[in-house]
Amino acid sequence: MAPPHFQPHQHPQLVALMHRILERMQLDQLDALGMAITVHDKRHDEQPSVIASLGIGADFAAAQLSGIGGPVPDAFAYQVPVLSLDLWTDDRWSELTLAAMRDRAPQHESIWEQVHGAAAVPGVWADDATVVVCCTLSQPASAATVASLISYEQLVSAALITTAAENASAIADIITVLQSRGAIEQAKGALMGLVRCDAEHAWRMLRRASQEFNVKLRELAVALVEHISGAPAEQPDTGTPITPDERTREAARLMWAALSEAPLTE
Amino acid sequence: MTNSQFRMSAGEAEQPPVVTATGDIDLANVNEFSEVLNRAAADSDAITVDLSEVTYCDSAAVRALFAVAATTKLGLIVPATGAIMTLLSISGLDRVAAVVSRD
Repeated sequence: MAPPHFQPHQHPQLVALMHRILERMQLDQLDALGMAITVHDKRHDEQPSVIASLGIGADFAAAQLSGIGGPVPDAFAYQVPVLSLDLWTDDRWSELTLAAMRDRAPQHESIWEQVHGAAAVPGVWADDATVVVCCTLSQPASAATVASLISYEQLVSAALITTAAENASAIADIITVLQSRGAIEQAKGALMGLVRCDAEHAWRMLRRASQEFNVKLRELAVALVEHISGAPAEQPDTGTPITPDERTREAARLMWAALSEAPLTE
Repeated sequence: MTNSQFRMSAGEAEQPPVVTATGDIDLANVNEFSEVLNRAAADSDAITVDLSEVTYCDSAAVRALFAVAATTKLGLIVPATGAIMTLLSISGLDRVAAVVSRD
């Protein structure tokens, strides 16, 4: 019984949300020439593909992934944020040059000449399925560029996880990811999506709830995510599974209910 | 893990405060690492982070260092060779932080 295969491209609402996130990112990165969200699901032998982009984002991500290299493939390969001050002179990617991009996408010629920095930030949204959020700038990228992308990556990953959770078969995978990748990060992402706050605020909410209910923060995070996905945890065979007790589960349920009742503003 | 894995000390003379990390930095303790970094950066426009005794660090630590470098001038002390130096050059963190390698 093969489970239905969740493909982000086939969820128009998810793709629309990704565009909204990019538009929001653009307000923070006024010197951006392009932005893209690229997903890679290694479970199904697929190549990474762009699901949402602005400006030169899609063409540039595709070019980097076609073999000439760049921040996007490196963020996928090494699962670390990648920053470049000046792409065309960066010694990490000798084939990624202005001339190469002129050849590949001459329609953007005037834009390639303006390109300087770039940043790409990876995330994990299912067992062996990753996402990279990237932007290309007319200025050198800074640590602040990366810090900004990190906060949006959490929102992007939370959206992918939540949508994938609607495919019942994916839930076991998600729980495994939550344990291996850090339940706290994921719970923060879900809270950021629900109450539309930043990572710091989500962290404070989690910490305050764990103190109020007198439960361990880590277990509260697992319970919260299990509550949202609506499935009992399928524990992996390896590692030390996190098993929230009934009291912690009740705390997670109350916390989520209280936050869900707050009016959402659009 | 106790906080003693991440220690903060005032800089000598005119030098910025130093955060010294030891052991592994991963998802289990990266929040503690971030808290110490933020505390050090709160009263200073520059900090130095000594990673020369760190045995392992991954993406979580790189994210924390990018985050603090976004608002503070960051100096890093790292072993001359090995995984940490590789991580810094792959990520490009070495382009926005002043890196001093120690043998």
